[in-house]
Amino acid sequence: MTMKTPVLQMKGVTKSFGGLRALIDVDLELYPDEILAIVGDNGAGKSTLIKVLTGIYQADSGTTELNGQPANIKSRQDSLEVGIATVYQDLGLVDTLSAAPNIFLGDEPKKKILGLPFIDNEKMRRDAEEILHTKVGVALPNPDEPIRDYSGGQRQAVAIARAVRANDIHVLVMDEPTAALGPEETKNTLELIKTVRGRGTPIILISHNLDHVFSVADRVQVMRGGMRAGVVEAAKSNKQEVLGLIVGSELQEAS
Amino acid sequence: MPSAENTSMMSSEVGQSVANRNVGRKVELPWLQRYINVAGPLVMIFGLSLVMLIFEPRFFEITNLMIILQDASIFMVLGMAMTLVVTGKGIDLSIGAVAALSALIMAMLIKDAGLNVYLAMIVALLVGTACGVVNGLVITKLRVPDLMATLAMDVIYRGLGLVLAAGTVLARFPEPLPTLGRGHVFGFFPVPAIVGLSALIIGYILYHHTRLGRYAIAIGANREAAQQTGINVDKQKIYLYALMGLCAAIAGILLTGRLNAIQSTAAVGFTLHTIAAVVVGGTVLFGGRGTMFGTLVGVLLLAMVTNSLVILRFQFFWQLVAAGVIIIASISFYTYLQRRNNPDARFDE
Repeated sequence: MTMKTPVLQMKGVTKSFGGLRALIDVDLELYPDEILAIVGDNGAGKSTLIKVLTGIYQADSGTTELNGQPANIKSRQDSLEVGIATVYQDLGLVDTLSAAPNIFLGDEPKKKILGLPFIDNEKMRRDAEEILHTKVGVALPNPDEPIRDYSGGQRQAVAIARAVRANDIHVLVMDEPTAALGPEETKNTLELIKTVRGRGTPIILISHNLDHVFSVADRVQVMRGGMRAGVVEAAKSNKQEVLGLIVGSELQEAS
Repeated sequence: MPSAENTSMMSSEVGQSVANRNVGRKVELPWLQRYINVAGPLVMIFGLSLVMLIFEPRFFEITNLMIILQDASIFMVLGMAMTLVVTGKGIDLSIGAVAALSALIMAMLIKDAGLNVYLAMIVALLVGTACGVVNGLVITKLRVPDLMATLAMDVIYRGLGLVLAAGTVLARFPEPLPTLGRGHVFGFFPVPAIVGLSALIIGYILYHHTRLGRYAIAIGANREAAQQTGINVDKQKIYLYALMGLCAAIAGILLTGRLNAIQSTAAVGFTLHTIAAVVVGGTVLFGGRGTMFGTLVGVLLLAMVTNSLVILRFQFFWQLVAAGVIIIASISFYTYLQRRNNPDARFDE
C-alpha cells in the first residue's frame, strides 16, 4: 500500500488559535481505494485538521497536495473545486424534496423552453439514479418520495451521492456519519461507506467509535494534543493499541 | 466482483428497512398521500354543498357558480404567489396595501393624467413589483423578520396611497379594465377567472419546474443546507417577494375593473383572506411544503362559504366568523393527520 502515490498528502500542517496550538506539524496521507479513519479525543485536533483540508480554516504553515499537485485551498469553495467533498453529520438535506432534487440542489440540469430556463427534472432523475447506482451502489425503492420518509441509511446514501456527484471528486470526507444512528442504520451506513470506497472514491472518516472504525477502515490515524500520535493498519492492529495511542503512552505501557 | 455483491446486498438492506417501516401502516395510495392535505377542505366543500342542496338549491345555478368563480379569481392570483412565499418560510402582510396603491396610481394616471390605459396598467405592475422588491430588501438586507417587515410596509404603502388620493374614489374606467374585472367569455365564464386560473397554472410550473420554486422549498425546509449548496438565499427571497408584489398589482387591477372604482382604503381584507386560503389548502406556515392545487381548493372553499352566507341571507359579517372557523378546523385536521402518520406516535394509539 505504501508503494502507491497518495491521492492526498498533507505535510507539516500547523495551526494556532491565539496561544492555543491546535495542530503541530501534522502529516496525513490518503491512498487510492482506501478508507482512512481519523480518531482522537475531543480537542486532539481531528476536526481542526479536516477544517484546514476543506478550507474552513487556513493553516499557519504546511502544504496540501492532491495527486502530486500542490492545492491552494483558501475557502470551502476552493476545496470543492479541487475535488474534496464533505458529508457533514447533519447531512444538510432538504426533507421535503425527493432524492434527485436533493442530489442536484443548487446545480440543477436546465433545459430552455421559449428561452426560459426550466429544471430538466427527467434528466435530473435519470442522472441521480445513475450516480446512486454507480458511485454509491444503492437503488432506492422510493426515489420520488420526499426524503423525510427515508431511513437513516437511505438519507446517508443521498447525502453521499450529492457529495460525490461531480466526476472529479478525489476525496470524500465524512464527519461522524454514524453518530446519530441506531444499530441497524449504523450497519447500513458502514456498508455504504465500504461500497463507495469500492467504487473508486477514497474516504477520510472521522469517528469517535472504534468499533465502527475497525469495521471499515484500512488505516487509522490517531491524533493527540494536536499531533499525529501514530498511524496503524487496521488489519494489523486492534482497539487496545489505538486506544493506547489516543489516551497517551502511560496506558500503552501499562497494557 | 465483490463490489457488485455489495450493491445488491446494500440495496436490498436499505430497501428492507423501508419495508419494515411500512409494516403496520395503513395502505395508502401514493396520489392520495400526496394530496392528503387537500382532503380537509375538499370534505368541507362537499359538506357545504350538501347543506346548500337542502336549504338553497339555487346555489348550484350556473350563474351563481360563476359568481363564486369570479369572487375567487383575485385570490387565485394572490394565493399563487403567497404559496411560493410561504413555502420559502416567508409571509407577506402588505399585499392588500400594495394592491390598493398600484391600482390607485394606475387610476390616477388614467383619470388625472389621461395616460393610455394599457400603459397605466404596466405602470401598476411595475409599482407592485417595486413594492415587493422593497419588502425583499428590508427583509434580507436590513434583517427585519418577514412578518414585522411586511406589517410595517403595509402601513407605509397604505399611508402612501392615502397621501396620494386622500379619500377620493376614482371611478368609471375605459376598457379593458371593466372586462378584465367583470367581463365574461362565451356569455358565462368570468374573464378574471381565466386570469386567476392561468396564474395558478403558471404557479404550478414555477413551483415544480423552475429554480424559483425549488429554492423556495429548499430555503423553507433547510435554510442552512440551501446556503451550503451555493444558493443565494437573499436573492431568491427578493425574487419571491417581487413576484408577490407583481401578483398584488394584478389583483389591484382586477379589483379596479370589477368595482369600476378604486380608493386608497380598498383591498383591506385581502391579506388575511389570501393567507387563510393558502393555509387551508395545506401549505405549511413553517415553510418547505405547499401545493398550488391546495391553494385553488382553499380559495374556492372560502369563496363558496362567503357566497353561501350571502344567499342564505346571513348578515354579511358572518363570513368573517366562518373564515376563522374554517382556518382553525383545517389546521387542526392537518395536525391530527400528522400525528396519525407519525410512526413514532403510532405506538400511543
